[in-house]
Amino acid sequence: MSFDWSAVIAALPQLLQGAELTVFIAAIGLILGISVGMLLGMLRAFGPMPVNALVQVYVAFIRGTPLIVQIMFIYFALPILMHIRIQGVTAGIIAIAINSSAYVAEIVRGSLLSISKGLTEAGLAMGLPFWKVLVFITGPLAFRRLIPPLGNQCITSLKDTSLLLVIGVSELTFTGQEIIADNFRAVEIWSAVAVIYFVMLSAVGLFWQYVERRMPIL
Amino acid sequence: MSIVEFSNVQKSFGPHKIFNGINLEIMPREVVVVIGPSGSGKSTLLRCINALESIEGGDIRVDGYSVKGGRNDIRNIRLEAGMVFQQFNLFPQMTALENVMFGPMRVRKATRREARELALALLEKVGLSERANHYPAELSGGQQQRVAIARALAIRPKLMLFDEPTSALDPELRQEVLKVMQTLAEEGMTMVIVTHEIEFARKAGTRLLFMEGGKIAHDGTPGELLANPPSERLRDFLQHVV
Repeated sequence: MSFDWSAVIAALPQLLQGAELTVFIAAIGLILGISVGMLLGMLRAFGPMPVNALVQVYVAFIRGTPLIVQIMFIYFALPILMHIRIQGVTAGIIAIAINSSAYVAEIVRGSLLSISKGLTEAGLAMGLPFWKVLVFITGPLAFRRLIPPLGNQCITSLKDTSLLLVIGVSELTFTGQEIIADNFRAVEIWSAVAVIYFVMLSAVGLFWQYVERRMPIL
Repeated sequence: MSIVEFSNVQKSFGPHKIFNGINLEIMPREVVVVIGPSGSGKSTLLRCINALESIEGGDIRVDGYSVKGGRNDIRNIRLEAGMVFQQFNLFPQMTALENVMFGPMRVRKATRREARELALALLEKVGLSERANHYPAELSGGQQQRVAIARALAIRPKLMLFDEPTSALDPELRQEVLKVMQTLAEEGMTMVIVTHEIEFARKAGTRLLFMEGGKIAHDGTPGELLANPPSERLRDFLQHVV
């Protein structure tokens, strides 16, 4: 068989539109997920016992169920339970945010706890309150250790958006599938989809590499 | 008027009783050297002074502030007591200069320029002017510890606490740190020093405490305690340390 470039070129505008939505959902979902995850991670590392336990349950629950089930639940079950309407894209953003927040919480906890206790004591011994030690000394150090796993999480979450095809969100994977349903050009379209993902994820990888070069682990 | 006063201090780690009624008074300008076998509670004693360790009973007062007096008192104590750690604990993302400027700017509300001037003066005092823009990882252990001393001095403390400041250093690097400490002592800084440096105690100390099993077993001048150890235990200890 021959590779039909014209099919790719014809599908490209639509695929890029799908890619745009993919990036949009991943970006908003990750911004929310990383913010919430950082807060949860801090609570896990330094929070009082009951809060800590609550976060632990949350993390266990999110990590202990497949993302695709979470997506289905948010899109199909939540509206019934709460008598609301929810759009696919919104459901997708929520799913990515919740899912990544649990993983980020564990990453943040780990890097915070990996910072030598002596540095915290040095800050406290100067008369700084704990939160200032966290903001000015240990937090920035922990953030540097956060960079590699955070890059990982961004890559994972961006790829995870492809699961949103099960609720009909027209992100990249769904778009590709729709086009193939029309023109039966599986080889060309799936190749194009793969290449587009690869380019996007390489960009994410390069971005985090750049950040890490600017803020090396100490 | 004492600057540090322990009264009937009680302290446990879990089920282990560390201190059962410690009493101690330290006067301004005293250079108190604390020695004793490991596990005798000497580091804990030091760390209780600036409330890095909490106590369960009794009280410790530093210049009138109580370690049990709540957030404000503890903050005031920590502003008056500079601390130097065994592992230096310099902030690795900051240069030597930035490490020393940090305290004045963050806790003394100094301007950048004031903090810089003070920090440069202190780095000069510890003999590290040319190293001001180096990061801790680029400094030797002895240099790092001298920066740490400058950092502690930068908050203008009335009292300096040293927790085994030379224990993590190679023998040839210890002298440069001890020299800085001796200068401080000669300038009249009140100091409490947990150490194994007996020679330093003899030269710079005005008072020597020997701790054993969570108690202050001996309390006297370095001269008399070192020349005539009053107990078998201290004699034994000194033989093994020197």
